[in-house]
Amino acid sequence: MGAWEIIVAEAPRFFTWWNIRFLLQAMLNTLVASVLGCTLGYMLGFALAALRVPHLMPFPPLRWLCVLWAETFRRIPFLVLLLLVFFLLQFARLEAPLWVVAVAAVAIRMSALAAENIRAGLESVRPSQWEAALTMNLPPWTVLGRIVLPQAWRVILPPSIAHVLSMVKETSLVSQIGFIEITFAAKMLTQRGFSALLTYSSALILYFLLGWALAALGRHAERRLTARRTASPPAASPLPAG
Amino acid sequence: MTLQYGQILHYLPDFAIGALVALWIAAVAFAGGLLIGLIGAAVLSFAPRPARALVLAYVRFFTWTPQLVQIFFLFFALPEIGITLSPVAAVLIGMTLNAGAYLTEIERAGFASVPRAELDAAETMGFSRPQIVWYVIAPHVVRALYPALSNHYIIMTLGTSMAAIFGVEELTGRALNANAISFRSVEIFSVVAGIYILLTIIASALLWLVGRWMFRVRAKVF
Repeated sequence: MGAWEIIVAEAPRFFTWWNIRFLLQAMLNTLVASVLGCTLGYMLGFALAALRVPHLMPFPPLRWLCVLWAETFRRIPFLVLLLLVFFLLQFARLEAPLWVVAVAAVAIRMSALAAENIRAGLESVRPSQWEAALTMNLPPWTVLGRIVLPQAWRVILPPSIAHVLSMVKETSLVSQIGFIEITFAAKMLTQRGFSALLTYSSALILYFLLGWALAALGRHAERRLTARRTASPPAASPLPAG
Repeated sequence: MTLQYGQILHYLPDFAIGALVALWIAAVAFAGGLLIGLIGAAVLSFAPRPARALVLAYVRFFTWTPQLVQIFFLFFALPEIGITLSPVAAVLIGMTLNAGAYLTEIERAGFASVPRAELDAAETMGFSRPQIVWYVIAPHVVRALYPALSNHYIIMTLGTSMAAIFGVEELTGRALNANAISFRSVEIFSVVAGIYILLTIIASALLWLVGRWMFRVRAKVF
């Protein structure tokens, strides 16, 4: 039997109200786990990147710790990280629900990715701007928030959205610990006797929709950033650049 | 309960072989992906619109959906239409197709990095087509692409861990087996995480050195 005949024969039995609702709920779980994990991870990553700046963190060992955190968790596969978080929580005898494990693993991985990305953004702003602002006696965190970040944002934003998309995809691995997101839902439906051709195509389509939405969001954000740049060019500096 | 690292030390040689399997899987899929990427990038740069749309659809499909689900589809759905793949074959095919999509995007950027003026100059000086490709285009493409390709190879090495889910005995697969026997979960997975970190650091250093000596590229690798 060809693929098309199987799909046509099985589709009416598969696309029932219950199955569709089940898959959409799973999609919501994927979305919630990745959005929550990415938000937490992004905040942590921001702190890690900011604390690597000598003006903000004058105590070197803490700066090294931030580098170590990012370098470590960037280099561990998400599946291994997830299992490590899962077993560590078990080892500490914390009765954490599965979604907490999922969100924690996503947050840790995202913090490492975001820290690298935000660091690159902060470094794209000339050091002389830091020095000038500090000489004018602005507090370091004000310099970061009002002078450096508004300029670094354009470098930071585009990869960030790519990272969120990659985390949405990584959450498929959370199916391995039994959290009911899209992939686990597809697996469950397959085990109930529905055609794997249909269940996994549905999962792929749902992920594709999420990817499409995120890519559209990224394009929109990038367009707005470039629009603002061309609409109001910064006033010409009386000093030579450098 | 305490951590007992002593009890899992005898798994280390086993894990080392697993690490080699992971590197092998990544290398095979990367080589295949490089070839697909080359064709895809050439189509995107030079072919007429319908062919470009087809390649673009391929790239979007594989970059917007998780590699794990793609391999699930190959491994569990294809048998329904009579194509049965072994775990290793499913993982290799899935990772190759996935790598092909990412490398198409990366290699297209490399094609765009050749300055028009240099091609014109080479033509004026009577270079033949193969000479232009070898002496003018290739150096630019290699230099522009080397850091991105190296990064992707390392990302793929980390990605091989999902092969464990299909029962392939690479590093994570061996860790799962060891875990099932010894129940020293935290010890095993922290050691395995350390091996992955070591593996990527060594790979980064080697790729950086090769880049410096062979292509005079001075970019940070991963």
